[in-house]
Amino acid sequence: MHTLPQQLANGLFLGSMYGLIAIGYTMVYGIVQLINFAHGEIFMTGAFGALTVWNCLPDGMNIWAALPLMLIGGAIVSVLIAVGAERFAYRPLRGAPRLAPLITAIGLSLALQQAIFVWYPGADNAKDFPQLGTHPYHLGSIAIQRNDIFLVAAAVVCMVGLAAFVRTSRTGRAMQATAQDPDTAQLMGIDTNRIIVIAFAIGGLFAAVAGVAFGLKYGQITYNMGFQAGLKAFTAAVLGGIGNIYGAMLGGLVLGIAEACATAYIANIPGMHQLGGQGWANVWAFVLLIVVLLVRPQGLLGERVADRA
Amino acid sequence: MTDIPLTEPLQPTPLGTTHPDAARSDSFVTLPPGVARIATLVGVAGTIVSTFMSWTYTSAFPGDLTVNGYPGGLQVLTLIGAILTGLVALGAFGVKGLTWLVPNRSPNAVLLLAAGTFATTWYAVIAIAQELGGLANLNPGGFVAAVASLVLLVGTLGLPIDRQPLDPSGAEYYELGRLSENGPARGTYRWLRQARLNHGELPVPDPARAPAWVQYLTIVVVAAAGVKVLTYGLATGYTELFIGYLILVVFTLWAFIAAGLTRQFSKITADHRPFAALMGVVAAVAYPFVQNNEHWANLGVNILIFGTVALGLNIVVGLTGLLDLGYVAFLGVGAYAAALVSGSQYSIWSGVEFPFWAAALTGMAASLVFGVLIGAPTLRLRGDYLAIVTLGFGEIFRIAVNNLDGVSGPKVTNGPNGISQIPDLSVFGYNLGDPHQFGSITLGRFANYYLLMLVITVIVVLVFTRASDSRIGRSWIAIREDETAATAMGINGFRVKLIAFALGASLAGLAGTVSAHVTYSVVPNPYQFSGAAPPNSAFLLAAVVLGGMGTVSGPVLGAALLYIVPEKLGFLQRYELFAFGVTLILIMRFRPEGIIPNRRRKLEFHQDEALLPAQQALGDGTAALGKAGA
Repeated sequence: MHTLPQQLANGLFLGSMYGLIAIGYTMVYGIVQLINFAHGEIFMTGAFGALTVWNCLPDGMNIWAALPLMLIGGAIVSVLIAVGAERFAYRPLRGAPRLAPLITAIGLSLALQQAIFVWYPGADNAKDFPQLGTHPYHLGSIAIQRNDIFLVAAAVVCMVGLAAFVRTSRTGRAMQATAQDPDTAQLMGIDTNRIIVIAFAIGGLFAAVAGVAFGLKYGQITYNMGFQAGLKAFTAAVLGGIGNIYGAMLGGLVLGIAEACATAYIANIPGMHQLGGQGWANVWAFVLLIVVLLVRPQGLLGERVADRA
Repeated sequence: MTDIPLTEPLQPTPLGTTHPDAARSDSFVTLPPGVARIATLVGVAGTIVSTFMSWTYTSAFPGDLTVNGYPGGLQVLTLIGAILTGLVALGAFGVKGLTWLVPNRSPNAVLLLAAGTFATTWYAVIAIAQELGGLANLNPGGFVAAVASLVLLVGTLGLPIDRQPLDPSGAEYYELGRLSENGPARGTYRWLRQARLNHGELPVPDPARAPAWVQYLTIVVVAAAGVKVLTYGLATGYTELFIGYLILVVFTLWAFIAAGLTRQFSKITADHRPFAALMGVVAAVAYPFVQNNEHWANLGVNILIFGTVALGLNIVVGLTGLLDLGYVAFLGVGAYAAALVSGSQYSIWSGVEFPFWAAALTGMAASLVFGVLIGAPTLRLRGDYLAIVTLGFGEIFRIAVNNLDGVSGPKVTNGPNGISQIPDLSVFGYNLGDPHQFGSITLGRFANYYLLMLVITVIVVLVFTRASDSRIGRSWIAIREDETAATAMGINGFRVKLIAFALGASLAGLAGTVSAHVTYSVVPNPYQFSGAAPPNSAFLLAAVVLGGMGTVSGPVLGAALLYIVPEKLGFLQRYELFAFGVTLILIMRFRPEGIIPNRRRKLEFHQDEALLPAQQALGDGTAALGKAGA
């Protein structure tokens, strides 16, 4: 279990999830320079949306058949919340000092989290999420769970789709233009408001996919799971270079692998035997963030951007 | 507000609105002026009389409203509201000797007070009917009160009201235009927009012309009244009374703002700042003597700790514009540092017992070190990074102290059990744990800590005000408003920001050292991002934002509100954090400067509205996007 390939694989799976969430942060940030703190909660509501769909389906339904429906349900919830947040919370503040949208984002994050806690039936406790089956596949010495296969497949499909969309479609290129220079983009006839909404929507969509993957992977979802996942995903986005969608995925993978390795191997370092294990994983992820900010603040793939103050 | 030059022809009124000037000075309900005045006074008289009658048969409703001839419980609040309304109404009608109550002669104050009285009375009546099951439980007195306060409200609605004229610059019309496809929404919006009362801008007589003793007396009276109102609110024994109190206080304060009284008072305090500050301190010192009860002293000391930490956060968020989302961790660092050197037997250095001054310095130093460690890598970058890094730090701090129990990590903090049995402090040979006798008044343990904490609060207030007026404070504000411009003016942005961040952290550490001793023990749980009880980072941020960023009184007021309201309204607990989140969003949308605005801060948040109309029309689309990149 504790072989290096296994740890790398574990990190890869975890990292794919971080990457999927991180895309939402990075796209929004790239276009409106706003950290959407509520994105972790959008991820969480996606998972709850999918769970609601599952609960509405007839008992005993095949999970593989239900999965597309759950994804659609989660995506609808997440995208609606993301777009609604943009329209009603962030857009009115677009000209305001930078602190204002950040505080709004914090408020939104609290409100969404607590709304699920208070009004989703039974959300005071962890909710069970359907499972794909427990028998792992074996690839050499590596054990791969079915849910991990779903996760990686989803991440690859999403990533390829997004890359194609951004590169080739008209809207995608408008998006790149808006990220580079919103004023000029608008002068060139691009409806920047529409582009911003689309960026939020794509972020919400990917977050919903990640939310379903999270539920499948851990078997349980909670109303406050968005907080830590969001924090990690933001770390991943910074790690990869915020504003860069490939960077977000890469950052996610690096963070996931680093976390898996830290959990498994830090305890072997002399003098640090008590600092390994799951309890310290978040601490090491955070230390990694600080180190990256010190050494390479623009992130792995980011370009050196002058502070557009 | 932009004035329209008289020489220009009047603009055609868009979307059927009346001309801005016509929107002013008309009433909500059309009544002949004499009738409105008489209705107001009759309503006041009727309401006052009703409070001396019995409102209900049984004493099952708390506060005993059954007695004829002696108001009790919620009746007292109605009585106070009605008397205030009457006095202010007479003042607004020009009765000699009372006009000072309405310095700007605006009738809005009467309307607001009447609305407060009406709301309190009807709340009481409805609460009686609802809790006791039906209107049958009301005595005639209750009906008299309801009808009289309704007459009062209708009468004041018939008075001419100062409404805010529609902003003739582009923004209003732009908003209206956007809604123009949706008829009902447009109508509602216009109605709401027109209903907005106008206050604060009418001229008031300069209070500096009053004799000096009147000005000093005013400050003393206001300070005493403040203590009285606050202690009354704290001492309210049941939820209904507290809700009534809250309604009345909010409307009364609003009415005083509308009347221009607060403007005059802030002018007086600005003219006599040292004396006003002294009176504030005297009022705060008097609190444990007036409210001589350990429970309230405990509440007081917790509010002070919370308020002091909020004030420290205000340096970071309010003055420098850096968003610190893990601020409570610095409080935790200070508390843990103090606990470790307190001599508690659960500390790993159980033999070490520092005197208070040394423990306080240790706590500050520990927080300072962490502040610099977190700030140094992040403050060179855009502000947003700081927000997320501090959020992470807050979370990591809690995880780390949870794990440092000797099993999942090195043994430092005793894990989830925390460090308990922290001995009481001893200051100048005066043990804060023992009750002490002052004449006939005994000060208990929490009262002692309250006074100690008050000293620390005063220190923090001094640091805050002196720093914000100093060269460095002005650079903080410059950085907050425009970092690029400030840097171009020769301010070393990184250094100045790091000083603010480290100063804020060490002030939180200082408060933490006291809080460790007050609560006897430190455990990891309270130091999280959001939770049901203060202090946590979300509550702290809410206190600063709600109270007013960049002011001294704002965060303290915010902290007091956020501490007392959950304490008094226990039934809201489940919805509390949800309400917080929504409050933060709404404040940022509609009143980003908070309850007590800092003048410069307010201008900054509303700079768009100060733009010329021509710029505004364009500004909403293009310029706003450009600034989002700012």
